Amino acid sequence: MAATAPEWLLASETDLAPCALTGRRRRRGFLEKTIQATARFLQSAIRSEETASEHGLLQRLDARVKLVSLVALLLAAALVRHVSVLLALLLATLALAVSSRLPLRLFLTRAWLYVPLFTGIVVAPAALSFVTPGEVVVSLGHWFGHPVGLTHQGLESAALVVSRVTVSISLVVLVAMTTSWPRLLAALRTLLCPKLLVLVIGMTYRFLFTLLGAVEEMYVAREARPRSSERSVRQGRAFVFASVGALFGKTQALSEDVHQAMVARGYDGDARMLERSRLTLVDVAWIGACILVVMLLLGVDRAAL
Amino acid sequence: MQRSEPLLTCEGVSFSYLGRFPALRELSFEVETGESVAVLGANGCGKSTLLKILGGLVFADEGSCRAFGHELSERALSDDGFSLAFRARTGFVFQNSDAQVFSPTVREEVAFGPLQLGLERDEVERRVSDALAMLEISELAERAPYQLSAGQKKRVALASVLVSSPELLLVDEPTAGLDPRSRQWLLELFGELRGAGKTIVLATHELDQLEWITNRCLVLSEEHRLIASGPPSEILADFDLLLAANLIHEHAHRDGPLVHAYSHSAAHHRESAGRVDPGCSDREDC
Repeated sequence: MAATAPEWLLASETDLAPCALTGRRRRRGFLEKTIQATARFLQSAIRSEETASEHGLLQRLDARVKLVSLVALLLAAALVRHVSVLLALLLATLALAVSSRLPLRLFLTRAWLYVPLFTGIVVAPAALSFVTPGEVVVSLGHWFGHPVGLTHQGLESAALVVSRVTVSISLVVLVAMTTSWPRLLAALRTLLCPKLLVLVIGMTYRFLFTLLGAVEEMYVAREARPRSSERSVRQGRAFVFASVGALFGKTQALSEDVHQAMVARGYDGDARMLERSRLTLVDVAWIGACILVVMLLLGVDRAAL
Repeated sequence: MQRSEPLLTCEGVSFSYLGRFPALRELSFEVETGESVAVLGANGCGKSTLLKILGGLVFADEGSCRAFGHELSERALSDDGFSLAFRARTGFVFQNSDAQVFSPTVREEVAFGPLQLGLERDEVERRVSDALAMLEISELAERAPYQLSAGQKKRVALASVLVSSPELLLVDEPTAGLDPRSRQWLLELFGELRGAGKTIVLATHELDQLEWITNRCLVLSEEHRLIASGPPSEILADFDLLLAANLIHEHAHRDGPLVHAYSHSAAHHRESAGRVDPGCSDREDC
């Protein structure tokens, strides 16, 4: 069977545009941004794996111990009613980040920047005198004939919410950055989470990388082909819908293969998994320290009332 | 289970996807214990489907299949006892390692099979360490699958199957997508397993080193029928058969005003890479 190429394929193209910078520079569209976000997610996941494999304080702890202490500290942060106590806890999270060899810039960006900023914007109206009446510390003039300002009580309430949220996020980020995903899943399994749920979460996370890789490949393949310089939202939308369809097909085929691979190795609907971790002295010491910190936080908070 | 009859028997097996797209037509053959059989055929001829039928993952529309002295049907495999016994004796290595490596870490992946089969945890841990060491991937034990190369994933997939020490190994396109060193290593491993008396059925369209790793070949036609069965030396010598099954192609090149045409296999290309024209040095395309 000899291949017969059409004439136009064997002849060289004569009326191609010159290979020079003669077009318009185009701005990045939503597709490019989405793909870049995909790449950022992959990088961030890889970065988290790197920080989790550092030899710092929190990395040495058993994931179960970290999860239990996280819940205890979150509860304590929710019960504390003084901003100063929460600020002390916040400083403690920073100390933990340092002792766990986390990149401080990354930790502060994830925990202390965006979430507190947006929480602050959301709770800012609570500081106004007509929402929380009290002693006005910053006057904002008269609105509709009434004096309006930021009250001491309102500012305190807003600061309490923002600091509580920041502490909670910092604690969660600490655990997330110092625990690898598989260990976190294993810890969830032992802490009475349904095994099937943990299995599904684990497989979703695992195949997310495969499917994100497929999305990137589809996009790169599209970019590699010559297209009109006139791009429209409609073209972009058509590509997205076509990609969703193709990805759906790939996902379905992959899920069938995965199921068969599981069945072939004896899966009968009840997944049995390997549990290995044993508690060490460091874990026991950490549990003791956490109990002490929680009692201290609540005690100081009560005494300050 | 009685073991006097062949390990695998297929009689008149036919299978089609969605009832419309035939994948296999009236296949009949046997595989004895300890045999190493290559299922040869072009892309889309039904090799993977046949392996899945032998692995009890899909079931024939017509005809019957027996394994380990028992009929291999959906009904039989719904029996806990038979299912466990069959899965413990059979290992399936998929072509797509990504689908087979589904656990969060390599260690958990390799432990999955023996845990499902009910082995004691200490025994599972011992076997996992041994399997990782055998496949030279101990340092990957705590890695996530997305951090592995294609060759490493293939090794993990193999470890996850061999850890259960199956009597019957079904392997789909084992060397697909592997670099030459990994490919050679894998072929040597199959040679060793064959020497150890494991029964191996592998689907491939690679003819290179077939004689070393198998003692019989089944050839499927592009019409999804079994067109030949015999020792590799006999099959590889039958150029008309290989040409008909699309396992080799008729090669033509110009020599001045003359055009030479002759049959060619991938193996022949590699052996005579220095003698053929340089444009044909690519194994896959030439």
